[in-house]
Amino acid sequence: MLTYQAMLSMRDEDDSYLTGARAIAPLAVGVAIYGMAFGLLATQAGFSPFEITGMGGVVFAGSSQIVFTQQWLAGAGALAALAAAVALNLRILLITGSIPDVFAGRPFWQVALAAHLAADENWAMLLARRAAGGAAGYRFFVGAGLVQFVVWLAATTAGAVLSEAIPDPRRLGMDFAFTAAFIAIALTLFRGRADVAPWAASLAVVLIAVATGWLAPPWALVLGGVSGAAVAGVFGHD
Amino acid sequence: MTDAWTHSPWVPLGALALITFSLRLSGALLGRRIPTHGAWARATRALPGCLIVALVAVSLVSGGVREWIAGIVSALVALATRNLPLTMAAGILAIWVSRRFV
Repeated sequence: MLTYQAMLSMRDEDDSYLTGARAIAPLAVGVAIYGMAFGLLATQAGFSPFEITGMGGVVFAGSSQIVFTQQWLAGAGALAALAAAVALNLRILLITGSIPDVFAGRPFWQVALAAHLAADENWAMLLARRAAGGAAGYRFFVGAGLVQFVVWLAATTAGAVLSEAIPDPRRLGMDFAFTAAFIAIALTLFRGRADVAPWAASLAVVLIAVATGWLAPPWALVLGGVSGAAVAGVFGHD
Repeated sequence: MTDAWTHSPWVPLGALALITFSLRLSGALLGRRIPTHGAWARATRALPGCLIVALVAVSLVSGGVREWIAGIVSALVALATRNLPLTMAAGILAIWVSRRFV
């Protein structure tokens, strides 16, 4: 018990904003490129650079911003675009829910700040540092999150400003950037056999719904994702 | 349905911001009370991957043979490099080449 207490207090002292900021730096390059491509996409959807900064600041969930903007641009309608983006963000509940010690004993504003900065990347870095035996708590999480927040806002705004130099992104194939990105993300999310049936269900639902013209693509997307998750829930095992 | 809801993206975006922050805060406040086992936990964990698969499927189905070629090239580059920016660059190059020559 004493050693555990000693370990806890040591962790607390070693937990630092700067360590978190340094840990996330290598990932910031990827976030920056992804963000600039998003700035370009959002400009096509009619957002001004200022609005893009604002959206990033209040939503701060890159993939959902991308999905929302893509669907909006495709004329999906507000409800379908919102449904797809929200479905993608449900996972953040599990992210903040999985690290209760980061929030424990903190005043509400710090809980709210750390929660708003929660993303896949700083969560993964926190777990990786702990797995390697390092100290990582509130300060590490917020330090890494702040770097990511600033990089995301700066990159998306820069993408919007630079887009003036690219009059027709589709001609250059830029419209395919996020399809390629999502293919790469899908491969990193694949967890093996447990994912085969859910993913096949998602794919089948989308193909059937779109090919038969039964659903508009945005709703086929939402139904496909939810169907796969339902297969995982009903037929999967812990 | 008002005009603001159907024509301005800021109504659904405001909703997205509020819902996303609520999800983040709920996780932080509920912590260990969120189930980590059982059907709901499995479904929520599987949802992001399934949505991404559905997204890729919608993009490719809505496209044509050129999109499928570029999709396969992107998947191969992603498998070989596990690098996001590089995969994006390869996808852009592949769609540009196939739109030009295929």
